[in-house]
Order: sequence, then structure tokens, then C-alpha cells
Amino acid sequence: MTNARILVVDDEPQIRRVMRTTLVSRGYMVDDARNGEAALEKLRTERFDLVLLDMNMPGIGGMETCRIIRSQGDIPIVILSIRNAEKDKVEALDAGADDYVTKPFSTPELLARIRAALRRAPLTGTGTPEVLNLGRTAINFATHRVTVDGTETRLTPKELDLLHYLASNPDVPIPHAKLLQAVWGPDYGEEVEYLRVFINQLRKKIEPLPSHPEYLLTEPWVGYRLHLPKKP
Amino acid sequence: MRNDFRPRMIKMVRVVGALGLICGITFFYSRLVHVNSVTVALSFLLAVLGIATRWGLTEALAASVFGMLCFNFFFLPPVGTLTIADPQNWVALFAFVVTAVITSQLSASAKLQALESAHRQHEMERLYTLSRNLLLVDSREPLAQQIANQVAKVFDLAAFAFFDRTTDRIHRAGPHDIPVEDTKLRDAAMQGTVFHDSAAHTTVMPISLGGPPIGSLAFEGTAVSETALHAIANLTAITLERARAQQVATRAEAARQGEELKSIMLDALAHEFKTPLTPIKAAVTSMLSDGCTSPTHQELLHIVDEETDRLNTMLTEAIQMSRIEAGQLQLHKGPHSMGELVRAQVTKLAESLEGREVKLEIPETLPRVDVDPEFIGILISQFLNNAVQYTPPGSPLTIRTHEEGGEVVISIQDQGPGILEPEQHQIFEKFYRGKEHRERIPGTGMGLTIAREIVRAHQGRIWVESPPGKGSKFSFSIRSAPREPVP
Repeated sequence: MTNARILVVDDEPQIRRVMRTTLVSRGYMVDDARNGEAALEKLRTERFDLVLLDMNMPGIGGMETCRIIRSQGDIPIVILSIRNAEKDKVEALDAGADDYVTKPFSTPELLARIRAALRRAPLTGTGTPEVLNLGRTAINFATHRVTVDGTETRLTPKELDLLHYLASNPDVPIPHAKLLQAVWGPDYGEEVEYLRVFINQLRKKIEPLPSHPEYLLTEPWVGYRLHLPKKP
Repeated sequence: MRNDFRPRMIKMVRVVGALGLICGITFFYSRLVHVNSVTVALSFLLAVLGIATRWGLTEALAASVFGMLCFNFFFLPPVGTLTIADPQNWVALFAFVVTAVITSQLSASAKLQALESAHRQHEMERLYTLSRNLLLVDSREPLAQQIANQVAKVFDLAAFAFFDRTTDRIHRAGPHDIPVEDTKLRDAAMQGTVFHDSAAHTTVMPISLGGPPIGSLAFEGTAVSETALHAIANLTAITLERARAQQVATRAEAARQGEELKSIMLDALAHEFKTPLTPIKAAVTSMLSDGCTSPTHQELLHIVDEETDRLNTMLTEAIQMSRIEAGQLQLHKGPHSMGELVRAQVTKLAESLEGREVKLEIPETLPRVDVDPEFIGILISQFLNNAVQYTPPGSPLTIRTHEEGGEVVISIQDQGPGILEPEQHQIFEKFYRGKEHRERIPGTGMGLTIAREIVRAHQGRIWVESPPGKGSKFSFSIRSAPREPVP
């Protein structure tokens, strides 16, 4: 059904074993690493489609590994962690993770999260332009590139999908649950903190003044809205 | 009595010496050198002045009287009798006596003052030594006894006793045994009164620091002035109080550290246990979702899965409990709609509600509350889980929220067997589990304690109502946030 390559990073051999068995039986190609350093080494030499990353590992640890992986590319990162406080989730998402699964998890749930992380929201058919111009900011959905006053940054796939969904429904307040389901998948809806983190990251990349957003607006109690500037 | 003997002897010797000096002067002027009576009188005055300064009033007075007699007998005519012929000489004799007595008094009182100030200075030095020694007492040894020893040693007391009211013990020091009954020391401490026994030279006085007396002290001897005595009492009180305060602080710190350590251990332990649970849960759910096993195996795998969840819940509760006990419950408050929080938990727990009818009575106009959504979520799910566990399967639940007197009240009504009156107060206590359920229903007895602590951290209230035959209603209330929405 799929032949996506997944890198499992966990210091617990039993978890690596069960992940490998389960994921291989579902048609994924699996490799594993026992710590952050080994994972970074593998990511340098091989191509993977997704990283399952444990938080609590000896050495540089999951959080730092996540940050380094994100600074090097767009690969989806799903965090596996025993801690389930909101603070831990937000911190991991801030470090660039795409999703956060609390241990112990059920296999169907993890598989759904993996599918969601691998899945890309459809970019075509909604009539959105390939390039979005917001004042001094230009976003190219095809190349994932954002230019603010000539300075270029890249958007991660989830950031791009989120912005794309908002851009295809401009000036309409979109509820949290709807945004989550559209971008992450049908199993999502309560993870409002995901949106908070990703919107903040997007604001840093596309807003001239991230603390006073002009385009990505919060709709109190509802969700978010993309405000398009009036054409001159 | 032996003590009084030596000073008296000394005094006798001095008086004799003073008389001898007058005799000497008389002999010198009557037999060896003949001068006029004025010179003799001045010489006598000089001698009296010297004696008063050197020895004191008694000796000087004796010398004055004796000198007056000698002056009259040997130098005032008619010489050799105690009669005076010339009235002029009466005046001379009178002037001599008055001058001698006044000078002796003046110089003696000057001497006394000098002595007294020397004594005071000495006492001050001793008090200073005592205060320094009390500051440096060895904290490993019993403090009260050390205080008694220090006072007796520094003030050179024959006997000293110190009654500590907190420990109800009497500490004695000094070479003698104090002739004061224990009850007298206790009475002084209870009533705050001072006892003097001038015959036995003992004093008993209470010691206090503003408030009621914390003990009393007794000593034998007259060498310590009233002022010094009060200073000793105050020093003792301060030393005791300081030591007590230090002890209380140390104990509280040790208790806090112990509690913290326990919580850290519990937290670490719970995390360690969760690590092996992860592959178990992953493996068993993987097999279950494969669906390629026989119905028997499916059932057995379900059991493993459910028990894994149960273990996980218990560990989660243990972690939450340890956080709460370590005082690490940090709230990230914000204005939230209680209705939304309730709905979110009902959706989340849909599976474990096992198809029960959950009636939500949530008015749209409910004000927002300033809460930490994560913890309020835990609280609501705790209430829901309890309702599911302790009431018959399939029986309906009703969740009501309403505003009452500036508070938002959330209550969950079940149709279960209810909770007996005496147990209603205990169920929020840690590790308490209902008598009837202890054996039948799994649980840790921590859930409602966690719920209570979460409510407390929000300055809210939590309670249960369970009239006989009407099921139970668990409620909590949180003060509502100001009306205007915050973006």
C-alpha cells in the first residue's frame, strides 16, 4: 500500500523491535537509530519520508535532535513521548515537530498519525493561485518559498498546507477543528495547541511584524482567518 | 554564716587600725613635737579623711569619735581631763567633730560609688561574655542545660536552676544544690511572679519574651543585681526562642525535602514503568487491529489491552499526584468556556462511555471561567470515569452547568447506587476507597484527591451530594471570569 521509508529513533530496543515489526507488516520500509546522533548520521546519508522520534534519550535528546532535523529539511517528524503535559507538546511542536503522540499509544492511532504526517493536503482544484501576494510578502506554493522584502525563507509542508487552506478561503473565519481536520486529517480536532504553534511560526515567516499580525488574524473563540489586502 | 565571718573580722581589724592611727598622732604631738591645737586638729582631720577614703564610713566614724576624745583630753586645756574651760575651745572641738563626720561620709560615699560602678562594669562584662557564649553554644548538645551551665559559670553562682516550660524539665548548675523547691520554679513560670527569699538569699523569677513566660530561673546569692538578673532572663529567653525557631525551620525544610524527594521518586518510577508498557500496548493493539486471530485470542488480547490501559491510568494518576504533592501544579490559566471543555471531554471519552446516554444541559449564556483547560479537562474526565466505573452499565448521566452567585457550577448526576453519608466526606481523601467497591472495582483512590487539588488550585469548591436512592451528584465550582471576552 505504501513504501514510505520511516526512521524510528528510540533508545529502548523493545520499542524499536515492535515498531519495526508493526510498520514493516503495514508495508513501510523501516530503519532505526538508538539515539539522536545516530539518527542525524542516518538522515545525512539516506533518504527517509518520516521520522518517529523519542523525546527522552541519552545524548543530545529528542528535542535537540528534532530542532536539528527541522533546520536541515522538511521531513515530517512525529514525536513519541511519555510526557503528556501541554507544555511538553507545545515545546516539541515549536522545535519543528509535525505531531506528538503520547506513550503508550495504540498501533492504529500511531498508524493514523503517520498517514496524516505523510499525507499532503491537496493543493489543486480550489482555485488558489500558485503565488500569493500579501503586501511585501510573496508566497509561492509550488516551491514552498516565501519572500519578505527580498529575503527568502522556506515553509515546512504543514505550514504550507495550513497557509494554503487559509488562502483558499480568504477573509472567512475558520474554526479550529475544521482547520485541524483539513490540514492534519480526520482524526484531529482537539489539538488547538498545534494551531497556536504553527500559526505563530507562520507569522514569524510571513508577517512584517509578527507580534502585530496584518494577515494571519486570530478570531477569538473561533479560529483563524487570512486577511487579504485590498488590491490597489 | 561562714561567709559573713571574714568581712566582719576585716572590719574589726580596720577599726582597731584606725584607732591606732589616732593614738599614734596623739602620741607624736603630745610627747615628741609640741604644736598648737589647730595643727593637731588638722592632722586628725587628715587621718579621718584618709581612713574614710581607704576603708569606709564605720572606720572613719570610729576614728572621728576617738580623735575628738583624744583632742579634748590631751590638747585642749585643761590638759589631762575631759572637761573644757574655754568656751572658744568648745567651738573648736565642735567644728572638728562636724568636719570629721561630714568628710568621712562624703569620701565613704564616693568610695561606695566607685565600687558600685566597678561592680556594674564587671557585671556588664559578664553579661557580654554570657551572651557571646550563648550565641556559640554547641547545637548538638541539649541547649537548656548548656544555658544553665553558662549562667552559673560566667556569674560564678553557687547554685542556679532553670526551668524550661516547653520540655517541663529543670536544669541545675553550680557547685551547690539550690534550696528552692521545684514547685516554686513551676509556679513562677505559670503565674509570672517573682519570689525573693532573703533568709536563704534565693530569687526565683519568670522568663518571657513579651508573651506568657516560657520558663523560670532561680539562683542563690546576692552578687547579681536586679538589672543583670533581668538581662540574664532575657538572654536565656532569646537563646531558647532562637534555637526553637531554628529547629522548627530545619524540621519543616527536612519535611519539605522529604516530600519533594518522594514525589521525584514516584515520578521517576512511574515513567520507568511506562516505558515497558509502550511496546506491550503497541504490540497488543497491533495484533488486535490485524484481525487475523481466532475469537478466543481476540478476547485474550482485549484483556491484555485493557489491563495495559489500566496500568497506564494508574501510573498517570501517580505522576499527577506526585506533581500535586511536590507543589508543582503550575496553572496556565486563560478564559475558557466550561461548556466547550465539558463537550471536549465527553467526545474524548466517547469510547469508554460505552454507549451511555450523556445528557448535556449547558446554557449558551454561561460566562467564561479563568482556568487551566488541561487540568479542568483532567478533572471532568475524572468525574466521568468515576461515574462510568461506579454505576451500572448503560445507566444515563447528566452534566449540568449553571451560574450561581458569580460562580460557574459543573455537576455530573448519575443514576447509581449513591454514596453513604459517612463516606461522602472521605472519598476526597488520598487512597480512600469505598468499602463496597474496594474488592470489585479497580482503582488507586487518588482520582478524587487529584480532582480536589485541581479545584483548590483554582480557588474553587468541590462537593458531592447523594440523597438515598437518588444517585450521586459530583459538583465543582469556579469563579467566573470578567464578562468581556479577551482575544
